[in-house]
Amino acid sequence: MEKVLLSVSDFIALTNQTLEYAYPSVAIEGEIAEFKVSQGKWVYFKLKDADSVVSCFMTLWQLRVPIEDGMKVILEGSPKLTKWGSFSVTVRTIRPSGEGAIKKSFEMLRAKLDAEGLFAPERKRALPRIPKKIAVISSTEAAGYADFIKIVNDRWGGMAIDVAHVQVQGEVAPDQMIRALRYFNERDELPEVIVLIRGGGSADDLAAFNDEQLVRAIAASRVPILVGVGHEVDETLADFAADVRAATPSNAAQLLVPDRRDIIRAVHAQTLSILPILSRTLEQTSRSVQSSLRGALESIESRVIRTADVLSSRRQVLAQLNPETVLARGYALLRGNQVVGESIEVETSHAILEAEVIHVRKK
Amino acid sequence: MSEKNKTIQQKIEELTQMIDWFDSDDFALEEAIDRFKKAEVLAGTIETDLSSLKNDITVLKQKFDSEA
Repeated sequence: MEKVLLSVSDFIALTNQTLEYAYPSVAIEGEIAEFKVSQGKWVYFKLKDADSVVSCFMTLWQLRVPIEDGMKVILEGSPKLTKWGSFSVTVRTIRPSGEGAIKKSFEMLRAKLDAEGLFAPERKRALPRIPKKIAVISSTEAAGYADFIKIVNDRWGGMAIDVAHVQVQGEVAPDQMIRALRYFNERDELPEVIVLIRGGGSADDLAAFNDEQLVRAIAASRVPILVGVGHEVDETLADFAADVRAATPSNAAQLLVPDRRDIIRAVHAQTLSILPILSRTLEQTSRSVQSSLRGALESIESRVIRTADVLSSRRQVLAQLNPETVLARGYALLRGNQVVGESIEVETSHAILEAEVIHVRKK
Repeated sequence: MSEKNKTIQQKIEELTQMIDWFDSDDFALEEAIDRFKKAEVLAGTIETDLSSLKNDITVLKQKFDSEA
């Protein structure tokens, strides 16, 4: 190879060009050491294993998860020789590696955002009872999305549902979800609720929902947000920042809309609730009419009895006045002229006598 | 607003008002059967409306893999 005389700057540029060609992107796993943030913008740390150490640099903006010394991470970046002659890796993404580191990072970010009030209950807004316009952010290829749509369609209808298809796992997922959130928040006609859903997966699969910027975007949304990620036992920071947290995508559908069958049952039950009122009123009216009739009958009966008594009394008087009764007591009825020599008729209780007047004496 | 143009929510509210009449001081037995029949018809309409509602789902063409 021909010897080429280079300036220092050219040498560094050439080295970087070679490195960029050979290693456009490398993923390295190691343990964080000497982590520090400078001027609120630049992040410096060392990545090490048992035998070696390499310097790393990144912007604070690119640091999407909290890290600290001793934490095991996987980073992606490009090796670079700086103009000061030191070798470092310019980091594009970094994420905790291993269950312990993921949990530690999760707890650190949770404590930080909680202290800022992002998860405060008083921030939570209620979802509309029956929304007409909703937005969904999910991967349309995911099983969780299919479950959600199936249950929503089964439970309720008449809604306009706009779906933003995004990746819901991996390095690019948080930014895609943030852009979708921004898209819906900037619409002239805002949706009434934004639903962010993803089916179950490993802790690593769900890591996108613990991204600090995504969690902040959820908390800052003008539109109430319903998050349904993973299975019931899964907890993400997106859940905490959401206005309403669903245990699963299917549960999100249940929380979002009422079940039309319940409404139909309630409507019919409401209508049937009239029947006892009607029945009670008819019964009361019937009782009242019967009572009035009974009163009238009693009144008639009383008058009949009174009239019968009067009649009986009159009959007794009449009986006393009957001439037959008088005759029976021994009296006689006399007919004809009571003049001497005239013939008269004498009636007793048991005979009628023909007689002649032979003498008349004045009393 | 005609009956046809009312939303399901409005119809449910109308049904509730119809039902409330039966417990109100305005209740009159002469009108009750007629009103009950109307409530039954409205409940049936609500059931039909609810059963036939479909959602309009649009998957946006907008891509979110980079800043617009």
